Amino acid sequence: MDSRGKNTAQYELQDGAKIAVLGGGPTGSFFSIFALKMAKMMGKEINVTIFEPKDFTKDGPGGCNRCGGIISELLLQTIAVEGINLPDRVVRKGINSYRLHTNHGSVFISTPALEKTIATVYRGGGPKGMAGGEKDSFDNFLLSQAVKEGATHMPLRIDRLEYKSKPVIFSQKNEIMEADLVAGCFGVNSTTGKLFEEMGIGYRKPPTITAAIAELRMTEETIAERFGNSIHLFLIPDKGIKFAAMIPKGQFVTLCILGEEMSTSVVKDFLERPLVKAVLPASYSMECSCLPKMNIGAPRKPFADRVVVCGDAGSTRLFKDGLGAAYLMGKAAAKAAVFQGVGEADFRQEYYPVYKSIIHDNLYGSILYGVIGQYRRWKYLTKAMIEVVRKEQGDPNNTEKILSSILWDMFTGNERYKNVFLKSFKVKMHIDMWEGLFKGFLGRDNGER
Amino acid sequence: MEKGELGKNYAGGEIIFREGEKGEVMYAIQSGKVKITKFTPSGEITIATLQEGDIFGEMALFDRLPRSANAVALDEARVLSIDKKKLFTTINRDPTLVFKILESMSQRIRSLNEELAKLRDAKAKVVKICPDVKVTCGMILDQAKSLVKAANGSLMLLDNREKTLVIMAAFGIEREGKADLRKGYGIAGDVLKTGRAELINSVREDKRFENSQIEIGSMLCIPLKCDTHVLGVINMSHPAENYFSLDDLSMMNTLSFYASLALQNALNFVNLKNATDGILKHATMLNEYAAGMYQESQPFTL
Repeated sequence: MDSRGKNTAQYELQDGAKIAVLGGGPTGSFFSIFALKMAKMMGKEINVTIFEPKDFTKDGPGGCNRCGGIISELLLQTIAVEGINLPDRVVRKGINSYRLHTNHGSVFISTPALEKTIATVYRGGGPKGMAGGEKDSFDNFLLSQAVKEGATHMPLRIDRLEYKSKPVIFSQKNEIMEADLVAGCFGVNSTTGKLFEEMGIGYRKPPTITAAIAELRMTEETIAERFGNSIHLFLIPDKGIKFAAMIPKGQFVTLCILGEEMSTSVVKDFLERPLVKAVLPASYSMECSCLPKMNIGAPRKPFADRVVVCGDAGSTRLFKDGLGAAYLMGKAAAKAAVFQGVGEADFRQEYYPVYKSIIHDNLYGSILYGVIGQYRRWKYLTKAMIEVVRKEQGDPNNTEKILSSILWDMFTGNERYKNVFLKSFKVKMHIDMWEGLFKGFLGRDNGER
Repeated sequence: MEKGELGKNYAGGEIIFREGEKGEVMYAIQSGKVKITKFTPSGEITIATLQEGDIFGEMALFDRLPRSANAVALDEARVLSIDKKKLFTTINRDPTLVFKILESMSQRIRSLNEELAKLRDAKAKVVKICPDVKVTCGMILDQAKSLVKAANGSLMLLDNREKTLVIMAAFGIEREGKADLRKGYGIAGDVLKTGRAELINSVREDKRFENSQIEIGSMLCIPLKCDTHVLGVINMSHPAENYFSLDDLSMMNTLSFYASLALQNALNFVNLKNATDGILKHATMLNEYAAGMYQESQPFTL
């Protein structure tokens, strides 16, 4: 019995248990892979069915999952240890550095020995015209791994969920399955959230903001020449734009802009800025653009008996490393279900701590993005930041490179926000920053743009 | 379209880490192959050959001892490094991350146990004292067959008088007698000369290959030697190209060590027996001569 007097044994997954996964994106695939692996370890046979109507091999909006498509260093290494190696056909570009642009200078931050430790991917088949080439979509690759592990993929759109003694799934008025567990692994842009809200378990979608994503087409040679293996970040003192990133991917550069009141005109204005134009070639075309929502908070009640919501519409990292969060939450939900059970008490015990840790970590993230917001607004802070990073990057004896690593971890999603926050208290960095500030005030910085 | 490449590229033969170094990083192979080698008194031996998807270098992270072997890129390899600090921090948050590492280590131990059992079995059979050289050669070749699956094989010893290799045992197509291969001629002759084992993936493209009665695509040729003196060679072949692996080469090298000892014992026994027989024959002749001389010297016979 749990503390509410419920019989918890009934929620233990038995042989032949049926799990319905609503959403075949990274969270759904990771959940399925680990649920099946762990069930095998426990000697249990479970049936996992992934309901995903989207074809991730399709190019254009039909296959797109609206994401910048960056796989962080930490996630790459973690899934490599898990035995999931990204094949070349999925990786659009190996990244080994970031170039940070501000109105008061640019600076280059790289990995040691320029090893390419970050991957850029397309979640779908890429912009229109790209399907059928040599490359594969990340979501399709992961889904195929889930199927290889033993999941069944049904390309059905689920349009109704009911809760009788167990959750029941409907598609076009047909009952598809009575499941021992329904895992909601959908994004904030999906309509599936409404099904869970209407289920009566108390789930409410998280708050969101609108981002802007655009695909800029250039030649591969131009991208290699102008971007190399770097992601370009822009911190500009524009009230409406928190930050922007240009992510090279073969024949395209994905532009992501985060801020308030995003619209296509914001994207066009951004591209006209001199700082941005200096990075882009004279000739390129905007192939497509969209305004997807991004999760900026926690949903209400992401689990109940036989129901768990993970993924973007559950809890995810603030602004960065959404794919890393998909791995963490998908695996945590799978662990809870297989090792503990599928009751609310089981998810509270095993899944909720991981979920909460991301929410808490995001609080530190909010503070850090707030601080970066101040840095981009105030000229002398921006100059000092550039000066300190330049000094750190140019000093081969400096093994710590504190501010460089803070910015790296922030922009790559490579580290928990709490650890980045704690790193920001290191005295040496503050001394260097003050030195940079004074130089800026006295006009003794190098004044480069 | 440009390849999306992650990790660091290593050229063929480039060392990723050396035995004895401190280990702060483990690795996941993105493409190509990596061989794990160790230095022994008789030279560098290959312990394992790893391929895309395999992880290596994790032992030094967990037992905090120096690297136990070398990791060398075989041809071009691309490898993703996994930082120890990040790995342990992630394991601390999610201990189930070690499941895959444990599975990999368990498979490696299982494979090593099987290899060890095979080699011990082969060693036990091969080092039995057997005075017959031909029988010893047959036993050695039987053990080679049990370690490495080949279509054809032979064991040849060098005839020191004729200076050619003589087939002492064979399977596949039965052959006996002279192989018409002198030191330095043909692949076997070359291995006899150099004393170095060879794995040839495409025999027909090898300039040293001399026409053969049997179809040979790939070949293992292992010298049998005591110290620097090469007694002969073991050949294992298969019609398909790229059939044998570096693991096969490694197993055969280990077998050849014990096989060479057994052969040397058998040859020493034969030589000793021949020498003893010779001495006995001369002693008998002298005895008879001495007896005859004595008879002649006697004036009277009864």
